[in-house]
Amino acid sequence: MCMMEKIEQAIPLFNNWIANWKNEGKKVLGYFCSYIPEEIIYAADILPIRMRARGCTDTPMGDAYMTPTTCSFTRCCLELANRKQYDFLDGIISCNCCDQVRRLYDNLRYKTPFPYHYIIGIPGYVSNTTIDWFKHELSKFKKKLEYEFNIAISQEKLKKTIYMYNKSRTLLKELYMLRKRDNPPVSGTEIIKILLAGISIPREQFNEILELELKQINKKNGISDYRARVMLVGSMLDEPEYIGIIENLGGLVVIDSLCFGTRYFWDLVDETLDPLEALAKRYLSKISCPRMTDGHLKRAEFMMDMIKEFKVDGVIFQRMKFCPLWWAEIFMLRNKLKEDHIPFLDLEREYVLSGAGAMKTRVQTFMEILETR
Amino acid sequence: MKKLDIEIYNKYKKLGRGNWGKDLSMWKMMYMGILYQRKDEEFTTILELLFNIFLDLPKARKEGKTIIMHPFNYGPEIFHAMNLEPLMQELFSVGLAPLHLNETYIDFSNKIGFGDNPTLCNAQRPLIGSFMQGAAPIPDLLFFLSTPCNSLAMTYQVFENLAKIPAFNMDVPYWAYEQQASEFYDDKTVEYMVKQIKDLISWLEQESKQKLNYENFQQTMKNVNQAREYILEFNELLKTVPCPMPSQAGFGNYLAMVTRGGTDDAVKATKWLRDTAVENIKNGIAGVPDEKIRIAWPYTHVFFDADLLTWLEETFKAVVIMDLLGFYQVLPHDTSTIDKCYESLALGTLDFSMVGTCRGPIEYYIEFLLNYVKDYKIDCVIMPMQFACKHAYAMARVTSEVVREETGIPVLIFGCDPYDSREVTSEAIRTRISEFLTQIVL
Repeated sequence: MCMMEKIEQAIPLFNNWIANWKNEGKKVLGYFCSYIPEEIIYAADILPIRMRARGCTDTPMGDAYMTPTTCSFTRCCLELANRKQYDFLDGIISCNCCDQVRRLYDNLRYKTPFPYHYIIGIPGYVSNTTIDWFKHELSKFKKKLEYEFNIAISQEKLKKTIYMYNKSRTLLKELYMLRKRDNPPVSGTEIIKILLAGISIPREQFNEILELELKQINKKNGISDYRARVMLVGSMLDEPEYIGIIENLGGLVVIDSLCFGTRYFWDLVDETLDPLEALAKRYLSKISCPRMTDGHLKRAEFMMDMIKEFKVDGVIFQRMKFCPLWWAEIFMLRNKLKEDHIPFLDLEREYVLSGAGAMKTRVQTFMEILETR
Repeated sequence: MKKLDIEIYNKYKKLGRGNWGKDLSMWKMMYMGILYQRKDEEFTTILELLFNIFLDLPKARKEGKTIIMHPFNYGPEIFHAMNLEPLMQELFSVGLAPLHLNETYIDFSNKIGFGDNPTLCNAQRPLIGSFMQGAAPIPDLLFFLSTPCNSLAMTYQVFENLAKIPAFNMDVPYWAYEQQASEFYDDKTVEYMVKQIKDLISWLEQESKQKLNYENFQQTMKNVNQAREYILEFNELLKTVPCPMPSQAGFGNYLAMVTRGGTDDAVKATKWLRDTAVENIKNGIAGVPDEKIRIAWPYTHVFFDADLLTWLEETFKAVVIMDLLGFYQVLPHDTSTIDKCYESLALGTLDFSMVGTCRGPIEYYIEFLLNYVKDYKIDCVIMPMQFACKHAYAMARVTSEVVREETGIPVLIFGCDPYDSREVTSEAIRTRISEFLTQIVL
């Protein structure tokens, strides 16, 4: 079995990796956001997997409880929970990353309770005061986890786990750097598959796969038949098919600012500090999502730096319908791109891929604009 | 009480004359519109407060005072203590709504690609449209909270970004609900808020070039706590059957605290409301004569329909006890030392209208509503939810189920845009409420 096949096997919500983990008698917890430190969960010998809702096609319960004007991701999650699609989970960990996710947590507890649930409070900006608060929150979370699952998370274990996760981050960054080439050896579609696999494969095994995959990809011939180099910016996107549509039309995605992409792994945890302090610092100060109220300028700067470094021709924004965070953020980022005369395309989408025809037309037009520049 | 007779009307009309500055032109229009709309009303302390809120802004501008814009869920005590002029941003969208003047700015926000109603709330969005058209008041400083919603925090950032105004954001922590220890906040939370308040003061001192006078601060906090005591008494008095005050009364307390919290004006207004309620009970006067239905309204008013509650009173003899904002329930605190004043300010921030009920898990909103229903002998609950209000709308259904189960009281939930009558019209809202009251409640 080639590496990419192994990786693709790990993409479904429940897969063999998770089944094998559970067969060893170990627990699995679903978590909702890239602001939740997986390291603490994994250090408790629990597999943290990012909550997704693939396979959801309609949301009657989600509409009724979350209302039809909340984002379709949260409605889909409530729907799948009601349909027992998350029954393999031993619990969920949420946070106040956005209004919709924090209310999803409430609705899940009332309508489709999990055996274990916990919510972490994450401050809205970075300062010594907020980092100290977040460290306190993480400490509470660690204690709860230890109590609930009757396991001690030692400093050594936490340090070891941080090292493991940092290794993933370093390898992923190496992989991303290959995309700077004029003919990148890896597509955006392949990248998202690797990232998705990473959120359900046990970390040691994921690192092994990543190392091998990196070697193989490095030897591959680069992709040269693209029409434009694209940066993808926006919220949660866990659908390789979505990126596939862009790439099939000639827009090679060479870099991103996405929840599952750079925002997930770009920054390392400082291994020289006390582990909880290091985690608090890293998770609050990482490349932020618009939930962080002091981060817009840094996010804009990151986008502009990536555009230069990865020789981007145009930016595609993808934002989930009814997401206030990303609509307002993209409104500001668009102004920045206009100032610098960088073309962009703003796509609104539902969590479940729909309206592919209309999307193709818009991407096709965008490609023509980029080609004629 | 004296009527807003021609003499008083002309006095306030005259005070509104003169050039308020280009960015206050809409502010002035709103003042004149409200003055005209209220010309036949009784001239109450609350009306006086309202007029002065509008008049104080151009006055502050003339005096060269630093103007700081802040959101609807933060008391301006510290700004008053530092002799800064607070400007509650949402007064703009709330004030323009009944005049149907929000629509122009909402449409302009749409046109420039800044959101739509179900995504971003129109309590803040008209600010961007009006700014782009040169009609928004331009403050010197901007302050906002991370709560109760992302929409608020994002729109303030967009404004900060467009208008290039120095801004300070305060994080209001989310806290976990524990059944065994259902604490609203712990020492760590209060300490966290106090630290942020001290950071805010340093920032204000730096930006406004004014030092906080601690005597002023302590006096301000004493005023705040005096007003809080009046409000708590007032809230208790509203438990009386029939309710001694009409449906809009509680909102007066909120208005006083969100615009003039910490000043003598707020003490005067809250005392007046308390005294009026006492007097009405003593004289057997009901807010709604022959009261038949007592309604809990755990959300904001439908601001574009200024007559909705009067219609409810006249048509159904129904009294809305208090709306979510008007149900201000911050406990008075010790202000004997400066440290205690900081704590009082922190606790007031955590408990402020809508913050206290919405910054955490759903249990706190449910608990608030269950107590409201039980304590005030409520007959039904009406929740007119703003489509874009994700954090509140997404807890309405579960909350209504719990309320029905535990109290047997019927609940009406409907979506609308309190700031724009075009989404769901006044007629449609009244039809829904009529059907609910006649077919289920009565």
